[in-house]
Amino acid sequence: MKGLHGIIFSYEKHNSLRELTANRMPASVPFAGRYRIIDFVLSSMVNAGITDVGVVLHGNYQSLLDHLGSGKDWDLSRKHGGLRLLPPFSYEETGGVRAFRGKMEALAGVRSYLEGVRQSHVVLADSDLIVNIPLQEVYQAHLDSGADITAVCTSSVDGPDDVTYFRLDGEGRITETLYPLNDPTGCYRSLEMYILSKELLLELVDECMSHDLCSFRGAVLQAKAGSLNIRSFVWDGYAAQIHTLKDYYVRSMELLDPTIRREIFHPQRPIHTKERNDASTYVDPNGTCCNCLVADGCTIEGTVENSILFRGVSVEKGAEIKNCILMQDTAVHRDAVLHQVVADKNVEIMASRTLMGHEGYPMVISKGSKV
Amino acid sequence: MKKECIAMLLAGGQGSRLYVLTSDVAKPAVPFGGKYRIIDFPLSNCTNSGIDTVGVLTQYKPLELNSYIGSGQPWDLDRLDGGVHILPPYMVEGDKGSWFKGTANAIYQNIGFVDMYDPEYVVILSGDHIYKMNYAKMVEAHKKAGAACTISVLEVPWAEASRFGIMAVDGEDNIVEFQEKPKEPKSNLASMGIYVFTWKKLREYLVSDEADPASSNDFGKNIIPNMLNAGEKMVAYRFDGYWKDVGTLESLWDANMDMLSRGDLDLLEDSWPIYARLPAEPPAFIGKSALVDHSVVTQGCEISGKVMNSVLSHGARVEEGAEVQYSVLMPGVTVKRGAVVRYAILGENCQVAAGASVGGSPESCDPDAWGITVLGPGTNIEPGEVVAPKTMLNRDHKEVHTK
Repeated sequence: MKGLHGIIFSYEKHNSLRELTANRMPASVPFAGRYRIIDFVLSSMVNAGITDVGVVLHGNYQSLLDHLGSGKDWDLSRKHGGLRLLPPFSYEETGGVRAFRGKMEALAGVRSYLEGVRQSHVVLADSDLIVNIPLQEVYQAHLDSGADITAVCTSSVDGPDDVTYFRLDGEGRITETLYPLNDPTGCYRSLEMYILSKELLLELVDECMSHDLCSFRGAVLQAKAGSLNIRSFVWDGYAAQIHTLKDYYVRSMELLDPTIRREIFHPQRPIHTKERNDASTYVDPNGTCCNCLVADGCTIEGTVENSILFRGVSVEKGAEIKNCILMQDTAVHRDAVLHQVVADKNVEIMASRTLMGHEGYPMVISKGSKV
Repeated sequence: MKKECIAMLLAGGQGSRLYVLTSDVAKPAVPFGGKYRIIDFPLSNCTNSGIDTVGVLTQYKPLELNSYIGSGQPWDLDRLDGGVHILPPYMVEGDKGSWFKGTANAIYQNIGFVDMYDPEYVVILSGDHIYKMNYAKMVEAHKKAGAACTISVLEVPWAEASRFGIMAVDGEDNIVEFQEKPKEPKSNLASMGIYVFTWKKLREYLVSDEADPASSNDFGKNIIPNMLNAGEKMVAYRFDGYWKDVGTLESLWDANMDMLSRGDLDLLEDSWPIYARLPAEPPAFIGKSALVDHSVVTQGCEISGKVMNSVLSHGARVEEGAEVQYSVLMPGVTVKRGAVVRYAILGENCQVAAGASVGGSPESCDPDAWGITVLGPGTNIEPGEVVAPKTMLNRDHKEVHTK
């Protein structure tokens, strides 16, 4: 069957999301008021007509399982195909104890699943990327160019430090894959999204397994730059890789910019997420709210500025919220003052408390804490 | 498979007193309260009450309602056994099928559906009421009383009693007399149009009512009086929560305003959730120049203007310098720069162009000439245009008069 199959990697890699990933994978970190980070890549796949998606799991994936469920919210609960969660049980080498050392090792762990893929091509993606990309165009470009591998990258080098860069020739072929790189001027930043045929993927997985190679970057992109036709697809729309808490905070706050919001929430390519049942948000006569992204189910009786409120947040009278991100069901009691605070789910801020973070180092309050 | 209790939801009415708002949809599909449609209330009540089999009787313009209900998944009514079923009128052999002639006839025509589940009790519901109610408690009371029919009633002020169907009861809340809109009410217990019947009994009365050519095949006019006259045990079930029939433009507007004040109808209170099917839209954005006061906003809203005492449904936009007061904006409405909307209901996807003015406050004009302004779904208001209070426009921008 022609077409694309999605594989999303959600396993532990080094990240600095601090308290936000104490109990969850980066993939299921709440983002943009009502989503989890994985929703963006997953929705991009679904919107491109992809019907089968495998999520390779390792680590603390309880919260991600809970979020994805049967895949119904993404229209991926199907009789054939749909969403498949791939926990590490099948990976005998390490008994599922040690984290994967790289994509190739992760793929080797799900080799039998890959054999059963019904589609001719596979798109590999990480789950720390905020993007709304028309993947069918990337796929078409892959077919048209006759490439062995197509890598999605961006000319904007304004991203986290620990990312892969590409050097391209005049025709868009990737000549060099670089990591780490201190001065990325003139290079393209990889968005860690790759399209290749199922056949080639299986060949590469087998080859890497027998040579004990784990890294897609090292064993494929670098080692095969000469023998395989590895081409770029330059995506200059919005794309944000969330590796650190600073990335998280800055990229969240960027959503208050209408041009960025329009790109990420494209009406023809909606971002799907797990539904919750909340009534509309109520703003009380005492409440003021400006320059905010506000999900449903909130009650605003205090002052909220330049902030992102997730579903079910309540801000009582006299409370002042500035430049904050308050996740699901956070309750801020009377006269509390919060500046540059990221409050995880179900946090309770008692009356008259004052909490101040800094833009470069926002204060994070872990899930369920009472301050 | 046998069920103890199923629900039948009467959703076929045109809702003619909602005029332009029901020009393309059945009344139960009319949006309410920012996120909902009217039918979400009875459907969610069923689910929350543990009723997992619901027949929805449709007749008038059902397309949008049918696609909204779909598999019933948002209400947890997509079940292996039971679940929600759309029941339109259908043909029978010898070209004998007919439209539903009345509320009782609608159930009569679907006796076969009810019999498939062989229930002890059937709950009859309407698709035009806003309320949160535990039907299980009512069924329990029905069982305990050994009644043939239990009718839920609401105490209304005596002065208003003559507007309702009134149930006169004895000391044990047995119904002794039913008065339809009486001049001299014998009680202030108004029927809410919610009935629990013992199915065997109801079935008998439906069959005999159908055989009577003089009958208008209506629960209120025929079935209930017939049962009373025959001496069946009929019990009133007192309900004391919020309940409103939103069959008129004024009551629909009132109910939306009631929801804002979060008194008896608090939708943010989550012990009895109301479910809805919603498009995937991002959180609401409240801009730098926005002022939102005593209002609700819903996902997909973009607000840069002034919004006071209003209900904004998903995807509504209020641009900078625009003002919305005491109004209900249904999904996808846009109010452009500098436009003013007051005391109005704007149907889905209405566009109010820059500088236009729609509706006005009761103080702004002669009290007799005042009323809620209503724009039918898809109505476009030109730049600078003035739509007076109490005016109603359809999508072709023609004025429609209430009767």
